[in-house]
Amino acid sequence: MFISKIMSRNAVTIDINADISQAREIMSENNFRHLPVVDDSNFLIGIVTDRDIRSVLPSSHITGDNGMEVLKRFSGIKIKDIMTKNPVALSPLDTLQDALILLQKERFGAFPVIDEQKKLIGIVSVRDLLREFINVLGLEEPGTLLCIIVENKLGQMKKIVDAITEEHVSFGSVLVSRYWEKGKRAVFPYLLTQNIAPVKRKLKKMGYTLLDPMDWYMDHLPQND
Amino acid sequence: MKKTGLLYDERYLRHDTGPNHPESPQRLKAIYQGIKEAGLLPKLTLIQARRADLKWIETIHSKNYIKRFEVACGSGNSTFDYPDNQICAETFETALLAVGGILDAVQLIMTDKLDNVFCAVRPPGHHAEYDKALGFCYFNNVAIAARYLQIEWGIQRVGIVDFDVHHGNGTQHLFEDDPTVFYYSIHQHPTFAFPGTGRVFETGDGEGVGTTRNYPVLPGQGDKEYQGLVERDLVPVLSAFSPEVILVSAGFDAHVDDDMSDINLSTQGYSRIMQRIAALAALYSDGRLISVLEGGYCLKRLPELAANHVNILLNA
Repeated sequence: MFISKIMSRNAVTIDINADISQAREIMSENNFRHLPVVDDSNFLIGIVTDRDIRSVLPSSHITGDNGMEVLKRFSGIKIKDIMTKNPVALSPLDTLQDALILLQKERFGAFPVIDEQKKLIGIVSVRDLLREFINVLGLEEPGTLLCIIVENKLGQMKKIVDAITEEHVSFGSVLVSRYWEKGKRAVFPYLLTQNIAPVKRKLKKMGYTLLDPMDWYMDHLPQND
Repeated sequence: MKKTGLLYDERYLRHDTGPNHPESPQRLKAIYQGIKEAGLLPKLTLIQARRADLKWIETIHSKNYIKRFEVACGSGNSTFDYPDNQICAETFETALLAVGGILDAVQLIMTDKLDNVFCAVRPPGHHAEYDKALGFCYFNNVAIAARYLQIEWGIQRVGIVDFDVHHGNGTQHLFEDDPTVFYYSIHQHPTFAFPGTGRVFETGDGEGVGTTRNYPVLPGQGDKEYQGLVERDLVPVLSAFSPEVILVSAGFDAHVDDDMSDINLSTQGYSRIMQRIAALAALYSDGRLISVLEGGYCLKRLPELAANHVNILLNA
């Protein structure tokens, strides 16, 4: 899944010499929290966030002013004074996985997307990434999730897939993941069926451990791992 | 004693899902047998199936979908729209007979010939969407009944209570922007059960915000949890809505012995839920209560569950 498919094209941008009240207006009109800053040739030079703006304004609770008056007094502040220069950007050929890992590392809410010449071609937000992740996991597709614990050795998946296929059940997706016990793996088939009981019975008969749904996998993952 | 109807017809057995399918004709036989052996048949008005007029199906499903379904059944296909949905040549007609029988039951209630009714029909309905079959369901029986009540009988507010262990995605989606139909569902949490919808934050759309309510229950829970939520939540929420008629999507698959779910309701637990719903109908809906079979796959338990269910209607 490439970023070019996930990003919004025609990102709304702001000029480097605009002042912060303009940026605030654009953000609230469009319900955006990130504006890429570009020059006349659409080269990316920075990014400004609603947080950058708020951090240069005094709290209206302290001054007793209303928002507009405060903005007026601080309207001399230009975007170039508060923006993040050379922001972390993605390429259209970066992947969803790249973006998710980068997101966790950099703690940004959105990434500009640039081409090889560093011209801005789009923007991708956390929401865009989550939407795609939900899509990849098939969370909105009807089905039933199973959790099977297997020995971490070659050929386990084949047996599981064969057993489920023999029950004439189709796969929506399969996730194979770490388990908290050494030498074991957790397999999560998401099956396109309501009729899960025969599959469960068969797998148990084959000697597999089905994870109790309440003994949820995530609770057992080692911290900070 | 109430005037209670029982919709049952052997033609509902003709929807053949093949060997080893849980939604089997045996389910209905077990239900009928259970009611019969409890000696309840003489107290009930037996309603026969009748083919529904397509115009009522079209209040809920797209014409294109209805046609696709008919063609699929006629073509010898063995499934329709989703791998689980086993069909045969008779499935389309059987689904029409289910809807028609339910609409007749509604008519008997609205003309005061009956107080309440249990519709033991196949195929079930609550997973069926506007233009998609899912989870053994083809026509959304309860949804069509709700629209029929509104259009033909001028009912303003319909309450639907769905205690099948699976979320009724179809019914919810069909009415999520409609404030005149309240959809209330109790089901196994969607992360742990088919079809994966019915989360707490799904509360309706647009004008219908507030008339959809989902109560997901975690695996391993049973009578205590259900009883609590019925008293704490279902009763006050439905009382506030004050439905003129209550429809029940009656699924018996939350029973501890039913292996379609990880919910552990006992037979008594089921009775307590239904008693409470019947009491709500008495308070707000002049006793008008139409219960329609959805899931429930444990052939050993279905007889007692159905007999108790009908007994509660008789003594409501």
